[in-house]
Amino acid sequence: MRLALAIASFVVLIVHGAVFYDQFFYRWERHQTAYFEQARALTKNAAEKTELENRSPKIEQYIVTNFGETRVDRCGTCHIAIDDPRFAGHAQPLKTHPYSAAMGDVERNGHWERRHKFTDFGCTVCHGGQGRGLETKYSHGEDEFWPEPLLGYVTQPNWRKDFAPKLKGKEYMEANCAQCHTQQDFAGTPHVNRGRKLFYAMNCYGCHKIDGMSEGTLGPDLTEAGKKFKIDYLWESIVEPRANLATSFMPKFNLSEDDVRALVIFLKSRRGVNFAETEMDRYKAHVANVPVVIPPGTENVKAGEQLIAERACTACHKLRDKDGGIAPDLSYEGLIRDNTWLMDHFKNPRSRIPDSIMPTFRFPGDDFDRITTYLVSLKTPPPPVAPAETFKTLCERCHGEKGDGNGKVAWYLDPNPRDFTKAAFMTSKPRERLVHSIQEGVPGTSMPPWKNVIAAQQVDGVLDYVLATFTRDTLHAPKARSIPETNPVPAGDNSVRHGEEIFLARCTGCHGRKADGKGPNSLDISPKPRNLRNQFFVDSVQDKRLFESILYGVQGTAMPSWIDYGLTRNDVGDIVNFIRSMNQKSRSQQNAGN
Amino acid sequence: MPVTQKQVEEPVGRRRILLWLSSVGLFGSAVLSAVSNLVFIKPRATYGQPTRFSIGKPDDFPSGTRISLDVKRVCVVRDGNKLAAISTTCTHLGCIVGISDTGFACPCHGSRYDQDGNVTGGPAPKPLPWYKVSLAPNGEVEVDKGIQVPPGTYLNV
Repeated sequence: MRLALAIASFVVLIVHGAVFYDQFFYRWERHQTAYFEQARALTKNAAEKTELENRSPKIEQYIVTNFGETRVDRCGTCHIAIDDPRFAGHAQPLKTHPYSAAMGDVERNGHWERRHKFTDFGCTVCHGGQGRGLETKYSHGEDEFWPEPLLGYVTQPNWRKDFAPKLKGKEYMEANCAQCHTQQDFAGTPHVNRGRKLFYAMNCYGCHKIDGMSEGTLGPDLTEAGKKFKIDYLWESIVEPRANLATSFMPKFNLSEDDVRALVIFLKSRRGVNFAETEMDRYKAHVANVPVVIPPGTENVKAGEQLIAERACTACHKLRDKDGGIAPDLSYEGLIRDNTWLMDHFKNPRSRIPDSIMPTFRFPGDDFDRITTYLVSLKTPPPPVAPAETFKTLCERCHGEKGDGNGKVAWYLDPNPRDFTKAAFMTSKPRERLVHSIQEGVPGTSMPPWKNVIAAQQVDGVLDYVLATFTRDTLHAPKARSIPETNPVPAGDNSVRHGEEIFLARCTGCHGRKADGKGPNSLDISPKPRNLRNQFFVDSVQDKRLFESILYGVQGTAMPSWIDYGLTRNDVGDIVNFIRSMNQKSRSQQNAGN
Repeated sequence: MPVTQKQVEEPVGRRRILLWLSSVGLFGSAVLSAVSNLVFIKPRATYGQPTRFSIGKPDDFPSGTRISLDVKRVCVVRDGNKLAAISTTCTHLGCIVGISDTGFACPCHGSRYDQDGNVTGGPAPKPLPWYKVSLAPNGEVEVDKGIQVPPGTYLNV
């Protein structure tokens, strides 16, 4: 018993002592004592000597209220010699903060005078880190949960080892300089300026929004990227867009390391609305600011080619051997689209393909003209080869090598490419329709008209190849059905109203209340329900086909045969009138808008 | 009975040592906790502006001027090579006193002080304190509001 008591009391004493030591004997006290001693040795002034003898270690702090929330920067507690020029050659933490003429420090009568005085600016405004911390781990932000480690000096232990070393360097501090020095082309922040130029030159602005600078909506809003993310995350997101979100469709830009660094620094400097950058004029000036330098006298075709290369179009699109793996192939664009189509599509990609994800880019008008001229000049069809080859070069990118509509860009296309393995669909359609889809394309979708690219016999060959390889069935003769050639119900207010009632009662579950094909059930359905507001598609489809699809369903899809559910021919006529009137209305609205 | 005595004595010696050890342990930890509690009473960090601050180069204060730094609440007096810092917090109710022809004047209740901060009128009970001024190694003047000096103490710059 007594032995146990003796041991216990000693353990208590030791623990107590350890806690006492830990709580009352600080590293910074040792740094300060060392400083006092060395300063005493350096001074010849008797008064200063006695003063230094009387000084005892204490927490030194700058309280800064000028930059957002009040900052309490206790960095001077360890780094007590930052303002003592005699310690310039000393080791950290007792080292003078360097003076730099570039930062505005002035040398007068042998004394340097700082432009950014510690009493006014503190430390963390420029350096980051945790100002209140009194232990290296916390004050330098080495703790992985601290959002702002010392910028450019400290990497946190959970950062990716492969590029953590690249995240060190003074230049990262420019992101903090740019919080106050918001001027474009401010000489002190070359990396921020370069990053800002890249943000436009690499078309980042097409997808990402930064208040006052861009309006993209496809990617995350980057207005406060610098506040939300550490530089490690920013670097990773640029270099490997899918590292954090497997479904991200951001392209890999394969930038040089210096460009990535400039972009990271630029993004780190984005911490919310910057009043200097909210004006629309500035935004427009920006876009015009990043011209692709085209030597004078270059013909438009050449200039367009250069623009496509320098505006990073092939980060998404395919052009010959360059393939971004996100958007359609442009190699035969001159045979597929014409001038008007391309210009409309540039000005607003959704004007021709209503569900396209292509961003609206704000290039100067001339650039669009040049790119269009170049694309229209791409008129060399591929050499005629065996159907399997043709499928591989032209179809596989969207329809997939298994023909299941799952090509590498299929995920980004809406509507999805047709799945050829669904035999019920493929065999229930007349051959003429399938041939027509290949030759004329499907308006309002990414299926282009191929008639100028591949000859008619070749189309037959490819179709036979698809049916034999993927569908593994031959076409059946279409069933005899009684379908009117044109809508027998005359269009009129009553008919449209009745059609709308039926539509709301029966169709919205899949086609959605807006008839855009995004109803609640659409998530589980493949192929997706048709977007009935895609006016180019709806206009291209004749009444007969609408009647057939509604009355007898679409085989191989989730569209049921509504004649079995009690819809009459007249009901269907009303629905067709409703769908047509809806698209008529949106077209007249668009025309009024233009 | 030497054997029995030895049997009794031995455990007593052991008990003594154990007792002594436990009391040292317990008493030691009691002392440590008392000391740490006493140390905790006075916090290491303060949350006000630091009492010791730099006010700039001596050249910023030309000879013969009296410049009042309202944010820091000191008046810097420069006379030839001599420099001093006088508080501008009124000793009556803590308003910031202004510089007048005769010295200092408080706008709140009309206290008046002479050039050296001695009370010449009004409700102020005490003269304005003078603070310690020193020259930092980087050539700037430092004022330490934590240390008062007798009026008339100047720093030679």
